Amino acid sequence: MHKFDYTQLVPSYIQAFEAYYPSKPDPELMRLYGVDHLHRLNNNENALGPPPEVAQVVEGFTPMAVPVYPNGDCFDLRQSLAERFGKDPEQFLVGNGSCEVIASVIKAFCEKGDNIITADKTFAVYEWVAEFSGFEARLIPLKDNGFDPQAMLDAMDRHTKILFVCNPNNPTGTYWDRSTMTGFLDAVDNRAVVVIDEAYCEYVENDDFPDGMALVEQYPNVVTFRTFSKMYALASLRIGYLCANPEMVGVIRRTHIVYSVNTLAQRAAAAALTNDGSFIRATRKMVREAKALLCPLFDELELTHVCGQGNYLMVKVPVSDTLMYRKLMTQGIMVRTMTGFRFPNWIRISLVQQPIMEAFCRVFRPVIEEIQGR
Amino acid sequence: MKGFDQSVSVSLAADIAWVPLVQSVVEKWAPVCGLDDSKTMMLTVAAEEIVVHLARMAPGTQVRFRLEPGGWHVRVEFSFKADASDLWAMNLVTKTDTQEEIDHLGLLVASRAVDGFTLGVEGDTLHLGLRKDRAYPIVIPETIQPVEARGELTIVRDPEPELIKVACVKALGLYPSDAVPRSFFTPGKVVDMVGQKDLDIAVAIDRSGALAGMICWQAPSEQGISFSGPYVFAKAGQAGDLLAKHLINTVARTRAMGLFSELATTSLPTADFESLGHLDQIQRDGKKSEQGVWYRHLREDMGASVWAHRAYAEFLETAYQRQVLMRDLKLIEGQGEHLPERSVFSVQLRPDAGKATLFPMVTGGDAAECIARYVEMLHREKFSNIFIRIDLAHGWQAAMGKAIMDNGFVPKLVLPYGGKSDILVFQHA
Ligand SMILES: Cc1ncc(COP(=O)(O)O)c(C=O)c1O
Repeated sequence: MHKFDYTQLVPSYIQAFEAYYPSKPDPELMRLYGVDHLHRLNNNENALGPPPEVAQVVEGFTPMAVPVYPNGDCFDLRQSLAERFGKDPEQFLVGNGSCEVIASVIKAFCEKGDNIITADKTFAVYEWVAEFSGFEARLIPLKDNGFDPQAMLDAMDRHTKILFVCNPNNPTGTYWDRSTMTGFLDAVDNRAVVVIDEAYCEYVENDDFPDGMALVEQYPNVVTFRTFSKMYALASLRIGYLCANPEMVGVIRRTHIVYSVNTLAQRAAAAALTNDGSFIRATRKMVREAKALLCPLFDELELTHVCGQGNYLMVKVPVSDTLMYRKLMTQGIMVRTMTGFRFPNWIRISLVQQPIMEAFCRVFRPVIEEIQGR
Repeated sequence: MKGFDQSVSVSLAADIAWVPLVQSVVEKWAPVCGLDDSKTMMLTVAAEEIVVHLARMAPGTQVRFRLEPGGWHVRVEFSFKADASDLWAMNLVTKTDTQEEIDHLGLLVASRAVDGFTLGVEGDTLHLGLRKDRAYPIVIPETIQPVEARGELTIVRDPEPELIKVACVKALGLYPSDAVPRSFFTPGKVVDMVGQKDLDIAVAIDRSGALAGMICWQAPSEQGISFSGPYVFAKAGQAGDLLAKHLINTVARTRAMGLFSELATTSLPTADFESLGHLDQIQRDGKKSEQGVWYRHLREDMGASVWAHRAYAEFLETAYQRQVLMRDLKLIEGQGEHLPERSVFSVQLRPDAGKATLFPMVTGGDAAECIARYVEMLHREKFSNIFIRIDLAHGWQAAMGKAIMDNGFVPKLVLPYGGKSDILVFQHA
C-alpha cells in the first residue's frame, strides 16, 4: 500500500493559508493568566444578554425538541423576517451565523480566476473565505478610516464578482452615508454583486445611515447581511442571514447548506424580532454611556482613539497591542488586539455595562501611566 | 526548466557496491542545479561517505536519498532506519584517536564538506539532510554616506533583482559588517533566496526612485519570523518606521505567532517592539558591544507549556514574568533512564563576526563532554561569540541545561515561538 501523503492532495492556496485559531475557553485562559474573573471585551458581544422574549424561548426549550431535525430552510423565521421588513420570505437566506452566508455568496458567484474587492482593514472573513477558496481578495486601503469607494471602483475588472462593504465598518465604526452608498452602487452599475454587511446596523442612530433592506429593492445586485450575534445577543446560537431579490437568493441558495441552523436558534431569532424596540434602546444607551466613560479617559491619557458607530471602539496604545493584551489579561480584562486587522498597536474594546467599563478603566489607566512613565 | 520538479530520488540497500551509483547521480545532477565543479565534488564526497558509513555500520539497510534543488543551494536528504546517536561522528569536533573514531571518520568528512546539515527523527527513521550552497561573487563594500531623501517615501513590496542587489551593497557600505546578514556580501545569492521564497525583502524609495532603506525577514520555524534591519540609507525621513510597519502588516495575517530581530539596527522603532534583552558581541578587535534583541507578538497569546531544566528554570520564570508570557514549566528530572551514548550538534558559523551557534540534534550521555570539545575547537579557531540554542518544545533538548551551563554558558534570552516552541539562547561567558 502507498503511504498516505496528504500534502500531495492539498491545493497550494490551502497550503499557504493559515487557519484561524479562536481563543481558548475562559476557564483555561483564567488558569493561565492566574485570574479569578475575565471580562470579555474582545468579541463585540452584547453583554446585556438577549431580549426577554428570547430568554423565554430558551427557558421553554424542551429536551424532546432535541432529537428532531430543525426546519431545513428556516421557514418560520423567514416568514417573521418578511413580515418585519415588508418583504417576501423568498428574499431571505438564513445561515449558521452571517459567516456562513459570506461563504455561500462567494461560492455562488466566484470561479477560478475571479476576484473579490474589500478593504484591507475590515472584518477578515471576506478575505479569508476568498483566499482559502482560491480566489484573489483585492484589499483596498481605508481612507480616513473609512472604505474608499473610488479606489474600490478603480480596482474592479471583468473578473471582479463581489464587492464587500462593511457598513458600519468593524473595527473603525465608520460608515457610508446614503448618498455615498447610492453613488457607489450607481457607479458599480450592476457589473458585480455588492454585499453590504450590516452586522452592526442596529447600533447606528444617525439619520443619514442607508438602510440595506431598502437598497435591496432599488438595486438588483445588492445583498444585505445581518446577524443576530451582535445587537440581539444570540452569538452562541450562531444565526445570521442575507436579504436580496428573490432571483439572487435562489442562486445563492444552491451553494448553501440546508439544516445548518438549529431549532433553538431559529426560534430565538424569531422571538428577538418581536421585541418592541425597548431592548435596542437599552443597549444603545449602554453603549452611549460606555463611550462617554472611555473617550474622556483616552483624551486625558492623550491616546488617539477611533470611536464611531457600533458597540466597540479602538484606541492606540503606546506599546505593542499584543503586549497590552497580555498585561490586561493578567488583570482579568480581555480585549481584541488589532495587529491582525493591520492596525498595529491598536486595541479594540467592546462597549458593555458601566461597572465593567469602570473596571476596565481602573486596570487600563495605571498600565498606560506606567508605560508612559508618568 | 523552471516550474518542473527537478528532484531525483533513489532507493537502495546500504552496500559498498552502490557507492559508484550514488557518486555518479550526485556528480551529474548537482551541476544541473548550479553547483560548480569543486562544490559538486564536495557534495559527492559527502554523499558517498554517508553511504559507505551505512554500508559498514548497517549493511543491507534500506536507504532512500533524494536530491532537491533549492535555487541558491542544493540539498541531499538521506532517510534510513538507525539510531540517531550513531551519527555522532557528524560532529565537527569528532576526534580521530581511537579505532572507533577512525572508523567513523567518513561522517566527519561529510559534515565538513557541506555548508550545513539537519537531522530529523520520525519514528525509527532518520532524515539526514546535507546542504551545499552555490558559489556567488563576493562584493567588497565601500563605505558610503547617507544621502538626503527627496519627497515622500514609499514601499516597494517585491523589489526587482537589481534593486535588491543595490540595496545589499548600500547596507554593507553604511553598516558594520556584523550588523548585516552575511548573505549581503553575495547579493546574487540574496536575489536567489528571495526567488526561492527563503527570504523576503522590502525596500523603501523616495519620490525620485532612489533607495531610502530596506528590511529583510525569513521564517526559521512555522511560528516565528526573524528579521534584520531596518537598514536606512537616507539621512532624514521615516524609512525605518515605514519599513518596520510594513513588515508587521505583511506578517500580521500569516501563520506566524511572533516576530523577532536577528540583527536589529538603531533605526528600528523600538516602541513597537518588546525588548528580549541583548547578546554580547566581542568584535574581532576585542571591543565589546551589545546586540539588542526585539520581539513583537503577532497574536493574542494563549499561553503554552514548555520543558525546563532546574539549572535555568529560575531564569525562565523571570524572563517570562518580565515579558508577561504565560507558560507552564514542565520540569525535567533525569530518572536514570537510558540515554543515547553520544550527542550530535550542528553548527552555524559566521567567521567574519567570530560567531558560532550550536543546535542540538541528539542528546546523549556525553553531552557535556561534546560541548566542551566544541568550545575548545571554536576558541582555537578564534570564535569568541559562541551560542547554543535549544527548543523548549523538546524535553530532550531542554534536558541539556546542566551540560550546557556546566560548560560556562549562561542563559541570555528567550525567543518566544522561535522554534517549535520557545527557544532559549545561551551564550558562552
Ligand atoms: C462585520 C461583521 N460581519 C459579520 C460577522 C459575523 O457574525 P456572525 O457569523 O456571528 O453572524 C461579524 C462578527 O464579528 C462582523 O463583525
